[in-house]
Amino acid sequence: MSESTYFDKVIRQFAIMTIVWAFVGMAVGVLIAAQLAWPALNFDLPWTTFSRLRPLHTNAVIFAFGGSALFASAYYIVQRTCHVRLFLPGLATFTFWGWQAIIVAAAISFPLGITTSKEYAELEWPIDIAIAVVWVAFAIVFFGTIVKRKVEHIYVANWFLGSLIIVVAMLHIVNSMALPTAFFGGSWFKSYSLFVGAQDAMVQWWYGHNAVGFFLTAGFLGMMYYFIPKQAERPVYSYRLSVVHFWSLVFTYIWAGPHHLHYTALPDWTQSLGMVFSLILLAPSWGGMINGIMTLSGAWEKLRSDPILRFLVVSVSFYGMSTFEGPMMSIKTVNSLSHYTDWTIGHVHAGALGWNGLVTFGAMYYLIPKLWNKQLYSIKLVEVHFWTSTIGIVLYIASMWVAGIMQGLMWRAVNEDGTLTYSFVESLQAMYPFYMVRFVGGAIFVLGIVIMMYNLYKTIAGARAADVAFPAPATAH
Amino acid sequence: MVIGHIIGLLSSPTAEWEKIRDEVCSTSACIFKHVVLMAAIPAISGYIGTTQVGWKIGASGLHYLSNESAGMIAILTYLAMIAGIIGMGAMIQWMAETYGKPQSLSRCVVFAAYVATPLFLIGVMLFYPILWLNMLLGLPAVAYSVFLLYSGIPIVMEMDKEKGFLFASSVLGLGLVAMVAILATTVILWGYGFGPQLTH
Repeated sequence: MSESTYFDKVIRQFAIMTIVWAFVGMAVGVLIAAQLAWPALNFDLPWTTFSRLRPLHTNAVIFAFGGSALFASAYYIVQRTCHVRLFLPGLATFTFWGWQAIIVAAAISFPLGITTSKEYAELEWPIDIAIAVVWVAFAIVFFGTIVKRKVEHIYVANWFLGSLIIVVAMLHIVNSMALPTAFFGGSWFKSYSLFVGAQDAMVQWWYGHNAVGFFLTAGFLGMMYYFIPKQAERPVYSYRLSVVHFWSLVFTYIWAGPHHLHYTALPDWTQSLGMVFSLILLAPSWGGMINGIMTLSGAWEKLRSDPILRFLVVSVSFYGMSTFEGPMMSIKTVNSLSHYTDWTIGHVHAGALGWNGLVTFGAMYYLIPKLWNKQLYSIKLVEVHFWTSTIGIVLYIASMWVAGIMQGLMWRAVNEDGTLTYSFVESLQAMYPFYMVRFVGGAIFVLGIVIMMYNLYKTIAGARAADVAFPAPATAH
Repeated sequence: MVIGHIIGLLSSPTAEWEKIRDEVCSTSACIFKHVVLMAAIPAISGYIGTTQVGWKIGASGLHYLSNESAGMIAILTYLAMIAGIIGMGAMIQWMAETYGKPQSLSRCVVFAAYVATPLFLIGVMLFYPILWLNMLLGLPAVAYSVFLLYSGIPIVMEMDKEKGFLFASSVLGLGLVAMVAILATTVILWGYGFGPQLTH
């Protein structure tokens, strides 16, 4: 009996946690945005200082919200496109509880100040080992399902999701290699990297940039290639382009990391190499964007009644915008002004809110009614959510553009006698209005999430989830 | 006539878009009539504001730009705005073909110019270059431009609303990309020593 149905329970669990973590992660983001405008909001407590809450915000959004969304969609897509039940459902359930336990551990250890101080890899070694174990279990479930598939062809979304799993395993394990200082008379909760100096920095940003490239891009492109054609009820515009997109993206991304280290102790040629590969990256990124947009281009009449499709269209537009902005900012001359300013923060949020956020919301609005076998409670509220998110993002990006350019200009302004025109504190003072606008933009975005939570709660409440049988005989997908 | 269109776009945009659509002019005449004058507003205001009025950041005194530096920036901004409108017009024409409604270049340029009208008009505020004030006034102008874009596309391009939504989104996306490209170009120019020269 169970062998003729999909294993959807774990997907339901991950889908719910995606929504919960979206709220938690972004609400913490709004709090620390408010702290930058009104510093008293850290309450003079060590646990609530910006420096401890900031990694909590980034990890909660990327790994808790983004991660749960990726697990949910990977398990959904791989079953639906392979026409088989998930390989080792028990192990899949383990990945759910393991991943949630890791997130809770992060939420406790960061406020306590336990950190490796490596950006986006701040978790200390015991949690890192747990991540590696859960991730390998994810790989076994995913590729095991691919192996026992009943459809000969492996759909392109699975290639993107597969690359996410393999590359993130490699990045995480290499970058997290560290020794606890307990071996040298220190603590069990503080470790130092095995790599030293400039090499440590290079490994860290090889990890950091490819966390963007494979966690936040390849994985979410897997979602795009499944949910856009499904929601638009049209095939992918060009399947050939999607395959070219995959291989060129995977090949190019891995080299781009050094652009995070322009004008540092990293050898100059390495910086230039990183810049050149970042510029090349524009081609595969835009190939993918065009493929996504063109898939939607024949679904005019659906756009009117379908705000979910709007989420997907606009998410792909933001993907195009931020993958254009990224290569621009990797140009060394531009980077010398933009680096360390809020322009970078604006760029990251164009990607994280505009692309990852919106595509995930679209996917969840598609997925959750299907998983609980119910109609969405209110299409009108989806529409309201769409406009609140879009307005929130635009306020966020616009304020950070102006703030970043101003900071860059003020920091490099010199008087005729060669002294600095502005002190650092003056540049900080000048940021106040922009930090307020950013706070407002972020708060509006979170308001949209609250609306989504209500809408989805009303959708699910009282529903009795039933497992779905897969189509047999499996001939096409 | 330009003034009439501007007032119309502010009071009854739908009817005014229809009038703008039905007006015929050659490309160069259109650019001269609709773009050359409007783009001068922010350029001239900015020049006067940064050289005569000055601005204050934090606790330090008033800052000004030198006349040569501000003049150079004003001229370059002016040219960039005209080129930007023509460029956006050309992109709109190219996309109109993709969306199955081929249009003349002049109509597309005029459309781009009138979408940008609120931004040109609010350029007056550069007389008084206070950043937070400029931002406060600029945001509604940006919002109105976006509204004009979404409401105008279906009328001027003569297509149904759903197609128009996607078309307008594409134009907006392209506009954002153009914006980033201008930012990057400006920063590169600054990097090569064409930066603004401050005086006290």
